[in-house]
Amino acid sequence: MIPAQFDYAAPATLDEALSLLAERPDDAKILAGGHSLIPAMKLRLAQPALLIDIGRVKDLSYIREEGGQIRIGAMTTHYQLESSERLREICPLLPECAASIGDVQVRNKGTIGGSLAHADPAADWPAAIISLRAELVAVSSRGERVIAADDFFVDMLTTALRPDEVLREIRINAPGGRTGQAYMKVHHPASGFAVVGVAVSLTLGADGKCSAAGVGITGVATKAYRAAQVEGALVGSTPDEQTTASAASHAADGVDANGDIYASADYRRHLAVVYARRAIAEAVAKIK
Amino acid sequence: MKIEGTHELRAPRERVWQALVDPSVLQRCIPGCERLERTGEDSYAATLRTGVGAIKGVFQGSVRLEDMSVPTHYRIVVDGKGQPGFLKGAGDLDLEERDGGTVVRYAGDVQVGGTLASVGQRMIQGAAKMMAAQFFTALEAEAQVEQGDPPPRHGFFRTALRAISGLLRQIFKRH
Ligand SMILES: Cc1cc2nc3c(=O)[nH]c(=O)nc-3n(C[C@H](O)[C@H](O)[C@H](O)COP(=O)(O)OP(=O)(O)OC[C@H]3O[C@@H](n4cnc5c(N)ncnc54)[C@H](O)[C@@H]3O)c2cc1C
Repeated sequence: MIPAQFDYAAPATLDEALSLLAERPDDAKILAGGHSLIPAMKLRLAQPALLIDIGRVKDLSYIREEGGQIRIGAMTTHYQLESSERLREICPLLPECAASIGDVQVRNKGTIGGSLAHADPAADWPAAIISLRAELVAVSSRGERVIAADDFFVDMLTTALRPDEVLREIRINAPGGRTGQAYMKVHHPASGFAVVGVAVSLTLGADGKCSAAGVGITGVATKAYRAAQVEGALVGSTPDEQTTASAASHAADGVDANGDIYASADYRRHLAVVYARRAIAEAVAKIK
Repeated sequence: MKIEGTHELRAPRERVWQALVDPSVLQRCIPGCERLERTGEDSYAATLRTGVGAIKGVFQGSVRLEDMSVPTHYRIVVDGKGQPGFLKGAGDLDLEERDGGTVVRYAGDVQVGGTLASVGQRMIQGAAKMMAAQFFTALEAEAQVEQGDPPPRHGFFRTALRAISGLLRQIFKRH
């Protein structure tokens, strides 16, 4: 339970952090809330030679509105997102998703940026971020680029971030009109991680038909994914009970599901369908 | 734990088979394989520095190929251990010709123990799939090289590009 030797740096600016990372992209790791990285280091499943703590870098922890977008700093904690009154008004999926993560200690320290960069196959944020079609801003000493949520998650614990890049900000287009959102999850009884988690953001047009739908699913496969067929079945239809059920039945279509001692692959696929149906129904019910 | 999967390689079966029994090719294709030394007929000693994302470890072990039936089948038996845990298992590989390409089917049973298994249980199957995909992507590139030409390079970006184009192919085939 004691990690291997490592060096520690706590730069005051992002530029400093980026140049440290650029010097040693292969054996340095960014330290955010430490709630995924430190446990792995204690078990010696991860042995970075240098930790670059970005906890003291100013201006990485914020929730702002800018140009019709919600902008969230990577170091914003789960708890800050959970307790934001403004987000509850304009994008309630974010606080709802945050509140479902682990326990209060984890939410107090863990960050949205850390969760996304770690890309645990059972993490909650990836589902929400995909359903909201967020953009992720990555920076390195070479410059900045914007990555679409769909391109960000590459595989288990693997993202599109390059070894010298830091995730700086998450951008979400504030949902407009008659939008309803929901996050529904089966908690693993020990860790709280998602056995299956489904995030839904659904907008109705003036005619009562669904004009836009976002459905992100985590926990089922090696990475969170967009349930494109569910979205396709929703858009243009009136999301009543029957349409919802038939749309949700596609939640795990073509997905290579994972199994473990707790939940088999088939069980996970089954849960994905059931929870997609419930999450869509709840999102619809929330539309005023 | 059972692991199984199917990969379609755009290379003739003969070439895929040759690649699958060539230790130098295998060393280049197995993710993180630093050493693959012959210790006897169809037996090898291996060192793997491998992992997924931030989780990494070094494993030492042995690999044996059995029940060879050129060019359609062999059984692979592995036994390894490292700081993060141990791994023991066996699996069957079957090669089938399809439209000038090769379908490789693998099915095996692996036991994983130690720290890795106690805390990483829920990720082992995913990690296995991910490494199998990397392996077969690299193997395909090896099998496509004409005999006598230099081997392909498997840098991170090349492998990622190949994996993406493979994925696109699968997606478009599904519809
Ligand atoms: C008991 C327990 C229960 C939990 N339950 C849940 C749960 O129910 N749902 C859930 O989703 N999560 C859960 N978690 C995980 C938790 O949410 C973590 O906080 C989160 O996964 C990682 O965030 P972090 O800020 O702690 O990152 P860290 O652990 O500091 O870092 C994680 C990884 O991301 C990298 N990284 C961090 N920030 C950046 C950045 N800005 N740019 C680039 N790379 C970066 C690090 O280098 C490291 O590799 C749980 C954790 C624990 C310990």
